[in-house]
Amino acid sequence: MKPHEHAQPPQDYSRYMDLKEGWVDRRIFWDEAIYERELEAIFARCWQFVAHDSQVPNAGDFVTTYIGEDGVIVSRHTDGEVYVYLNACTHRGNKICFADEGNARRFTCNYHGWAYSTAGELLGLPSEHAYDPGDIDRTQWGPRKARVASYKGMIFATFDPEAPSLDDYLGDYRWYLDAFLDNDEGGIEFLPGTIKSYANANWKFGVENFIGDAYHAWWTHDAGGRAMMGGPFPPYDPSDTFQASVNGHGWEFALEGVGDIAILGSQEVIDYYTAQRPKMAQRIGELRARLFGSLASAAMFPNMTFLPGIHTFRTWLPRGPRKLELRIWTVVPKNAPESVKQAINIGCNLTFNPAGTLEMDDGENWEGNTRTNRGWVSRHEKLHYGCGKSRQIEHPELPGIVHEGQFNDANQRLFYQRWADLMNAKSWSEVPQRYTPRYAGRPTR
Amino acid sequence: MNAIAKDVQAATQPPSLELVSEVQQFYYREARLKDRQDYRAWLALLTDDIHYWMPARVQRYRRDERPPSRLDSAYYNDSMRELDKRITRLETDTCWTEDPATRTAHLVHNVEVEHTENADEYRVHSISQVYRNMNEDEEHTLYCLREDLLRRVDGQLRVARRLLTLQQNIFMNKSLNVFP
Repeated sequence: MKPHEHAQPPQDYSRYMDLKEGWVDRRIFWDEAIYERELEAIFARCWQFVAHDSQVPNAGDFVTTYIGEDGVIVSRHTDGEVYVYLNACTHRGNKICFADEGNARRFTCNYHGWAYSTAGELLGLPSEHAYDPGDIDRTQWGPRKARVASYKGMIFATFDPEAPSLDDYLGDYRWYLDAFLDNDEGGIEFLPGTIKSYANANWKFGVENFIGDAYHAWWTHDAGGRAMMGGPFPPYDPSDTFQASVNGHGWEFALEGVGDIAILGSQEVIDYYTAQRPKMAQRIGELRARLFGSLASAAMFPNMTFLPGIHTFRTWLPRGPRKLELRIWTVVPKNAPESVKQAINIGCNLTFNPAGTLEMDDGENWEGNTRTNRGWVSRHEKLHYGCGKSRQIEHPELPGIVHEGQFNDANQRLFYQRWADLMNAKSWSEVPQRYTPRYAGRPTR
Repeated sequence: MNAIAKDVQAATQPPSLELVSEVQQFYYREARLKDRQDYRAWLALLTDDIHYWMPARVQRYRRDERPPSRLDSAYYNDSMRELDKRITRLETDTCWTEDPATRTAHLVHNVEVEHTENADEYRVHSISQVYRNMNEDEEHTLYCLREDLLRRVDGQLRVARRLLTLQQNIFMNKSLNVFP
């Protein structure tokens, strides 16, 4: 069976949650069989972030990453296009490229020397005269290619030919993404270097934390917040704060404009954005110019998350139900002066990487969330996701499913809704649309 | 070969045994202060213009290696201001992950001292090994190649620059809560 010919779901995954009551069953963070279905129904189906344009600007530039647990090469070919294909030789299946990034004219398998182009075509075989005519048609034996599409510099890929277009997959979430990716005419760029780390935690804990858990920051990050800002987070005030969810993607935010930027601890960065703000408002509107930089966190289904004002992007690669690999990048406005880029880099790394004054306190929590499921009794308990069940609103400007109040489990509930929808679906056509798009087929800026 | 440490040069003038011993004793004191978590005393062993740097590690092909730049993502890219913020976090009463405390053993190996063109400054290569034991039974051992610039200030050795090359491609733990 080919990967896109999905098997009948082994079970009804909706029984692992009741989102009206507001709970989720702990087995989805531990069970091996559920994890195997995630690889098939979520990671082999959804569009996933693989690279930013600024990481592969020139022909031959490449990075290697994973779509689920499938290793892929992401390379810019001489035709200027980015290709994404399995990082596995079609002869005996060995890994083709062992570097994380670099520049290459071709990729050659270490085992027998089969060579592949940067477009993922099988170029040649050593001692090809050992093969008789009819033994191999080279044009048919390149590694499986993924579909590739990009949104404002962010490159995504999926192995599912039936997946909706990237624009439909993102839906009105593009409206929110623009606040970060397109608030300046130069857009963003990734600084060099990837921070990679392991945690013994289920991948969903990292994602749900960014998608809609402002609540933890006041408690988990009290120490880091005091160190970075010279005092505690201001008392929680729900007014003018929101959670928005689109197709399982989410963004929780205040609208004060500077809360996350302040955590970087750099007056130079605050001054830079204060001066940028009027230009930003002209470009993306007054509301989105306040959205960017505010206390916020965000995640794209299934596993890419970011903190817009803190300028960190990361993916949460699954490594079994009880382990994840985190990959982190610092993002800067392309047109900012070098000194602002460096101030962002230093503040971002000081706060949000495994050594960061805030992030250090997160990994421990997620490992704890995961590990206690070793207990058979613990594993069969429920977790409470009921905060803010009745706070859904219609907002004149904010698209998606919107809830009032930044402390709220709404985005997390809707993340698990999307998770169950995909886990239960035999194909994309069975995945329900759970919101009414305002920008279908239209640009969001 | 490691891209960061390519600039290893033979010392023109070998260091005296007294100098090597002084540097080793300095490192052992530094390690003891970190194992006792006396971080303010540790900061006093660094110069005010310290650059404490551990760039991101990225695996590239040999023909394609490049040295890290100051604009690279980094675990540490700190001046005294940033180091002070890290210690301030530990001094709050709310640093939950450090209570109960992490148990550490900092070791310094392969100490190699070189004179520089400045009589008050020495370049020192070493390997930093940090063993950690956390929570119930979690173990993690970290090795970094370390290249220091030590400066003699009022007769006492101080660290003025530290470049740490992490010898793990993927950092194999959830947190980096030590100063290698």
